[in-house]
Amino acid sequence: MNEIPLFAVLFLSPVVSSLPIALAWIYKQGEDWVKKLPYLSVAGLFVSLLISLHILFNFEEGFYSYPWLPDFNINFVFVVDYLSRYMGALTAFIAFLIGVYGLEYMKDDYRLGWYWFFFNTFTASMLLVVYSDNLLTLLIGWEGLGLASWGLIGHWFRDDDDIAFVGTKGRKVGMLEMSWSPSFGGWRAISTIRFGDMPMFFAIAGIYALTGSLDIHAIPWEGMFERIGYFGTIFLLILFMMGPFTKSAQLPFSEWLMTAMTGPTTVSALLHSATMVAAGTYLFMRITWYIEPWNSHIPGLEAVYLFILFLGLVSSLYGAVVALGLRERKVLLASSTMSSLGLMFSAASTSFWLGEVAIIVAFWYLIVHAFAKASLFLVAGHLIHATHDRFCGGDFAFSKKMKTAFAVTILATISLAGIPPFTAYWVKSGMDGLMEHIMEEGLIAPFYLLVLISIFYSAFLAKFLSLNFIKGEKPHHEHTEGGGLMKVAYAVMVSMQLVLLAVILLGYDEHIHFVEEGFLEISITVGLLVTVAYLIALFKPSIRSLSPLGNFLTDRMYMPFINDYIIPQIGWGIIKVVDSCNRGIDLTVHRAIPSVFDEVSRAIRTIQKGHLRTYMKIVTGFVMVFMVIFALVGW
Amino acid sequence: MGEIFLLISVVVITLGAIASLKNQLFGFVASSIAIVVSFISLTPETYFFGVLIVLVGLLNLLTLYISQNQIKGVDYALSAMLVFATILVIQTSNFAMLIGTFILVSVPTYVLVILTENKPNVEIAIKYIVFMVFATILFIIGAFLLVYSASEQVYQFYYIIGYVLLVSGLALEVGIAPFHEWVPDVFAEANPVPISIIASIAKFVPFIVAFKILIGTANPVTESIVAFTAFLSVLSMFVGNIGALTSREHGRVLGYSTVANMGYVLATLVAIVKLEFVYLAISGALLQLFANSAGKIGFFSAIKERTVGASFTYVLAFSFIGMPPLMGFWSKLFILLSLVYSGYVWLGVILVINSAISVPYYIRLARELGKGYGYGLVNVIALIAVLITLITLYPPDWFVQSVRGIVDTFSLGGVV
Repeated sequence: MNEIPLFAVLFLSPVVSSLPIALAWIYKQGEDWVKKLPYLSVAGLFVSLLISLHILFNFEEGFYSYPWLPDFNINFVFVVDYLSRYMGALTAFIAFLIGVYGLEYMKDDYRLGWYWFFFNTFTASMLLVVYSDNLLTLLIGWEGLGLASWGLIGHWFRDDDDIAFVGTKGRKVGMLEMSWSPSFGGWRAISTIRFGDMPMFFAIAGIYALTGSLDIHAIPWEGMFERIGYFGTIFLLILFMMGPFTKSAQLPFSEWLMTAMTGPTTVSALLHSATMVAAGTYLFMRITWYIEPWNSHIPGLEAVYLFILFLGLVSSLYGAVVALGLRERKVLLASSTMSSLGLMFSAASTSFWLGEVAIIVAFWYLIVHAFAKASLFLVAGHLIHATHDRFCGGDFAFSKKMKTAFAVTILATISLAGIPPFTAYWVKSGMDGLMEHIMEEGLIAPFYLLVLISIFYSAFLAKFLSLNFIKGEKPHHEHTEGGGLMKVAYAVMVSMQLVLLAVILLGYDEHIHFVEEGFLEISITVGLLVTVAYLIALFKPSIRSLSPLGNFLTDRMYMPFINDYIIPQIGWGIIKVVDSCNRGIDLTVHRAIPSVFDEVSRAIRTIQKGHLRTYMKIVTGFVMVFMVIFALVGW
Repeated sequence: MGEIFLLISVVVITLGAIASLKNQLFGFVASSIAIVVSFISLTPETYFFGVLIVLVGLLNLLTLYISQNQIKGVDYALSAMLVFATILVIQTSNFAMLIGTFILVSVPTYVLVILTENKPNVEIAIKYIVFMVFATILFIIGAFLLVYSASEQVYQFYYIIGYVLLVSGLALEVGIAPFHEWVPDVFAEANPVPISIIASIAKFVPFIVAFKILIGTANPVTESIVAFTAFLSVLSMFVGNIGALTSREHGRVLGYSTVANMGYVLATLVAIVKLEFVYLAISGALLQLFANSAGKIGFFSAIKERTVGASFTYVLAFSFIGMPPLMGFWSKLFILLSLVYSGYVWLGVILVINSAISVPYYIRLARELGKGYGYGLVNVIALIAVLITLITLYPPDWFVQSVRGIVDTFSLGGVV
């Protein structure tokens, strides 16, 4: 059983290797030898990468378990199956590449210890989530993701550099200022995620209480759902899915992802494009894989999966439309990530009608998106670094100085948009196929929504390319030298698109059937529409006359009001109620009760008039009354 | 066999009273000897109870020693008679003797209450005596009715009236609401030392006689009529504790405190419904009376001369409040247990609530009456009182055994 120690090293290596820089930075901040310690952290990431590749190619599929609380049937159970092998390798590889990028990007930072510790902790937590079959260990990783997210988004906690903000300072809509600082962004992230984690906790506890098991592959899903009935199934699953919904920034929980862009770009690239936000969709795919809803006849499941289908599509549409109007580089990419996540949810949810193949499609879209979006984020980071401006800008002359970035962006956007015959075209064709098949179940809208979303998606990708390298404003500040390590990182990242293309076309994986889908008439039509949209947006990235609409979209359709105004008002309302209760208690205990005692005491003492005849009257009166009463009783 | 010693004791008291006309010290010595002699008359099982009675009695004599009054010398004899009566009452089961003891413990107090250091307190005395006489009348009539109904086995009418009259008489005697009106006035205006004697040793006999008669005449009707006792008890607790909260004069506060404490003790009469726990109830009652005695003696001494140390007054206050491991805690515990076992949990709850209500005024008393470090004979008296309350540092199982010895002799002789 030498697999378990390998897993242990896989999870612990990143954390342990980041401890030197974390501790050294507390005591010996800024010294030369300390600044070399991040290389150690990246080496730890490399070790994890090697192990995950080993698992990908050499491990037998199955479950590897190590006892923890055997009396409670809770153990460390690690799963190596189709989903976890690829996801683990993807996570470790992207983390490593971005770690390398970060060596240069963050080299002059003032909180290196904090950054590397949380960066590596994040990687370890994500790997734990990916490989865990036991819901409790998964939850541990899940919480680690949230913690690392808070630490990294709020990394530049001093809120002193405008480059780290999201929004425009001083710009107000109503009473809200449309500007968010890093510290606030960190808070928003963890509070939103927490809000979703709580229901998930309860759902997991409920699953344990109902079935006595927390291992996803071993839980008797069908039996449990039958036991709790229609509404019970819906309730339990929706509770559980609150975790993934908040983590993957679906409506109405999307705001935290937008303001998470206050973190360093490496963080945005790793967490908020490729891995952490994908954890929600990944978890959904995983439990769907084992619930096998296409085989069971549980009525509640249909309602849940229908809900997720439309939630995903609506969130995706929102993200795509808003991205069309956004002008900040990273927030645009964040919104597009939200859009892609929605597509992943909805594609995976069609598995209820179509079977395992839907999960495969959604999963491959996750993979393609991860590499492409990470590349785009890394490029955006380099652009921000070079122009010292977080808003889109850059003309053709500028792009001549940033040749690598330009080329990478072209490749990434074309691959991701779904332009034939590049990578995403085949995967998107698979998705078109899914949506077309469910039209036979009577669900007509999803297909058309998907086409619409694809068009918008392609358009804003082209807009991103255009406004940063071709038709944007000339940057005020240009600092384009250096960045060698950064260029290497994102070049390697984008080259994965070609690798994936090869895997798809050459049929290395027997689960994938995208190629046939890609040659269908309907797919070609969609592909052409997408290409046309791309070209239009490339040449006309901004339309002046639609400015008001653009502003509306930049303000993200006023979604910030939910997080920043409505929810706080509810909180204030609760505070007022509690305050009045406190006042009531105070009044009772400190004023009402003492004064009552005071009054009664004085009343008792007024009996003592001092005259014997009064007393005698009272006494004889009472004696006679008692005698009469008890005489009657006795009779 | 023990009667001889009782006889000797009475003779010594009388001789001492006469001799005290020559020199009051004779009275003091003779009374002390008489108290000790009467102790010898007790059987070994009841020794612990006897020791405590003797301690309280001697302490009373000591307080008289340091005070002046109009009948110096004879006052020792009067006080010793109260002790004699208390020791007599636990040894007799004769109905006539019980009634006689009740009167015997009442009459000396009529004289004691008049005593002052200058002008005799006639007005207060009249108030007090009228109440006491009324009490005695009601008690005796009630007792007779109870015994009659028990002997004739006619329980409905006579028993109930007799019960009501007996308990009313008891209430008037010791100061239980709503018959408590004499207590605040008398305690405030009479001389502290005689009042401390009335408030301490004179309370035992009425309760013991009541217990003996009620247990002797217990029958199925008792269960329902006991509600009357519970009602008086609750009323007394609340009137005493709440009335004391805003009283200003220290004597008045102690008067209300007595009313409340008598309420606690009266509650134990309720436990007669479950005869197997009556020993626990009586233990609680007697221990509460002891704690009350020690405390009242200590506080009244402090009122007489403000030379008692603050540490002593605070200990006495804590004993009244019921803080372990002082005597006041154990007494309340036994009372609570007996109430719970008899099924009167609500009465126990009210008792606890009242203990809480009583905290402010006891602390206020301790704060106002105790000054730094005490000195003088008064302080010694307070010290002895404190030591009495500390006796229960050794958990008073010994006391309960002693009470069992008393209860075993309960049987109403001579009539039923």
